[in-house]
Amino acid sequence: MRMKNLLWLQSGCCGGSTISFLNVDQPDFFTGLRLAGINIVLHPSISLESGREVIDVLEKCRKGEIKIDILAVEGAIHLGPNKTGKYFIFNDRPFKDWITDLARVSDYVVAVGTCASFGGIPAAGSNPMDVTGLQFLRETKGGLLGEGFASAASMPVVNVAGCPAHPDWTYETLMFLASAALRIEDLDRFNRPKFFYSKLAHHACPRNEYYEFKASAVAYSQQGCLFENLGCKATQCESDCNERLWLGRTGSCTRGGFPCISCTSPKFPDGFTPYFSTEKIGDIPTTLPLDVPKAWYVGISGLSKLACPERLRVNAVSFKEIDVDQV
Amino acid sequence: MVHKKIIRINPLNRVEGDLEISIEIRDGKVIDARASGVAFRGFERLLLRRDPMDALVFTCRVCGICSICHSTASSLALRSAFDARMPANAYYIRNIALASEVIMSHLMHFYALFMVDFTNKKYSSSKNYPGLVSRFAALEGSSYIAAMKARKDFLAFLGLFVGKWPNTLALQPGGVTKPVNASEIVRARAVLAGLSGFLEKELLDDNIESFLENDSVADLNTWLGAADHQQSDLGLFMEMAQESGLERLGKGPGRFLCCASYESPDGSTMYKSGYFDGIVNPFQQEKITEDVSHAWFVGDDHKHPFCGTTEPNAEKEGAYTWVKSPRYEGAVVEVGPYARLMINHDPLANDVARVSGVNAYTRSLMRIYEMLLLVRRIEEWIVRIDPEEPVYLPHRDAKDAQGKGFVEAARGMLGHWITIEKGKIRSYQIITPTSWNMSPRDAAGSPGAVEQALIGTTVEDEKNPVEVGHVVRSFDPCLFCSVHTLRATCLNHGRSTG
Repeated sequence: MRMKNLLWLQSGCCGGSTISFLNVDQPDFFTGLRLAGINIVLHPSISLESGREVIDVLEKCRKGEIKIDILAVEGAIHLGPNKTGKYFIFNDRPFKDWITDLARVSDYVVAVGTCASFGGIPAAGSNPMDVTGLQFLRETKGGLLGEGFASAASMPVVNVAGCPAHPDWTYETLMFLASAALRIEDLDRFNRPKFFYSKLAHHACPRNEYYEFKASAVAYSQQGCLFENLGCKATQCESDCNERLWLGRTGSCTRGGFPCISCTSPKFPDGFTPYFSTEKIGDIPTTLPLDVPKAWYVGISGLSKLACPERLRVNAVSFKEIDVDQV
Repeated sequence: MVHKKIIRINPLNRVEGDLEISIEIRDGKVIDARASGVAFRGFERLLLRRDPMDALVFTCRVCGICSICHSTASSLALRSAFDARMPANAYYIRNIALASEVIMSHLMHFYALFMVDFTNKKYSSSKNYPGLVSRFAALEGSSYIAAMKARKDFLAFLGLFVGKWPNTLALQPGGVTKPVNASEIVRARAVLAGLSGFLEKELLDDNIESFLENDSVADLNTWLGAADHQQSDLGLFMEMAQESGLERLGKGPGRFLCCASYESPDGSTMYKSGYFDGIVNPFQQEKITEDVSHAWFVGDDHKHPFCGTTEPNAEKEGAYTWVKSPRYEGAVVEVGPYARLMINHDPLANDVARVSGVNAYTRSLMRIYEMLLLVRRIEEWIVRIDPEEPVYLPHRDAKDAQGKGFVEAARGMLGHWITIEKGKIRSYQIITPTSWNMSPRDAAGSPGAVEQALIGTTVEDEKNPVEVGHVVRSFDPCLFCSVHTLRATCLNHGRSTG
């Protein structure tokens, strides 16, 4: 079978989703590429080529002399100032125009990370640099390529959201695309592959027993649930982080003791502030789990607190395990 | 006949971020050089009027390679603004996290960014060429692959301390969010032993302990000649450096800067700060200014980071980059592992400085050497963690305050400055290591450190200017970090430009 050509572009980004992709461990990066039958045509952090050689390759891709099976874009796309794209000029042309041209000749286009998907951090607040995602700006369809864009294989931009994207999400998406195994019905309402984004980051969080009994931490480093006081958005975040785990399957945000900030969402970052504390009306957090009715939440959480075992009540506010039978 | 030509390399790949290098060559020698960061990212502008704690979320996302460096600097800036305190354990865990990231960055730089240049066709007549290609070819070389695998295996170590990376939020003004228990400490030490194993087998063909006994250039030469050390990855690098004349390339401005870094609970630091201009002087952050005369920003004066700069102006005449020009006492300086080891009187670094001075070879050598030093340091910090003691102390917020945080990031000194007014960020300023190294010329016309290092370089083949790659990559530039600015105000002078 012919190797599939992957062209990876970085659009004024932080490189975080590349670094994360290199962290892939099941399988490792090199075995992964071989298994997927992927040939990297160009990657700015990896390839030997520089200068004119890079432009030659990009020109050949644009003209169809090198077939691009998959175009991966990392980073938000600069439209500013005044729609000129001059905040990122690449060899005398706005980089946004390079991306547009190359997207047109690619079988599939993948946005790797929340910036390329939805704008992400650079689009925060008033979006002063006027950046956008490839086919979305936050929750609104359009972006650089337009709502109606479809790649040569009749797919919209596939959004591998996450800040950064989990290495598996990137790798598996590339693997699906290399074997033409991703269908449009496999994408959710924000064109993210459902395989990764139909769970909540809350699922498999080791603090779940604390959550059930509303045994909450009041300061970081404590073992209790981070939802009630410390800003955790894992019950709103569509990802499988706590099932899949990060860094050689050793960690996640909540396992690291800090709150989930829902970085896979098109509303990231502004939709999830404050990050480190929980906004409440009375005692009720305003950031309730995605589809839990408020009245039920109030009723159940009141009862849970009453039913909370001593073991959880004590440990929720302790940084180390306390054996209550010995206290 | 004088042969003169301008060569533009855009993009210069295998650096972190979007870099254009433009050189003017006369009779095979670089007579002028310009380094341009070509993408504007405007991070500091994004932070204005936000909650001060948002800086932890935003600034680690300045850079995917050195996100913990930014986390460290921003949490230190907030710590000083909030006057927060940390328990002893937090110092060790933060040092471990920072050192781990620096180690991974140095490892990646050597194997995936720097050594790949020696597979260039320029070296095809070298007796070492077949070996270089089989080991260091991008994505294919045996050492390249082994190093990437060692890096991947080491990630589990980081996971045990910070949960997720890049972009952890574990580092806070009051310490760290994740305690480590006795079982995790055992696991962490096992993972670290795996990394040491790789370094000893592939990089050194020697154990780290005995390599670190090399205190002088003479020791290093003896080491290289002994056993099979020439066959190790480091040995091959040292040999190729000699063969290719790497020592003759990339002399910098000769002035260096280092900030205090890797703090202990008693307030002492592994790296002490200093400014070297022939001798080591005390470092005073007040002496830092930023110049935007050749960057695409409005204005042309020097300002301290607590004061302001102005708006982006993509049309500005004479400008050629989105990187600003930080200066110390008005002078161009270099930062990085060479600078910090030399300023801190490391015996080997001092001898290297005495014998060879700074150049493309010694800069890279000191990077690798620091990686080995940090591996040993981590082992010392781990055993000091007491799982029975806390890792975090809550802090009060501040309505009106200023704070600053400095850290020796992988590529050199990183500084964050925050001004909080009425509980919101009034200004946030970042000076990254690459801003120091890759800055454009300033109002006085002095070229930045890399630009200076490029001038005088002999380029054998204009169509294949591999020497330029050696010089630039010896600084390990990270453009992700450095292309930013803000709409800021100068509070000290009570005047607003934004």
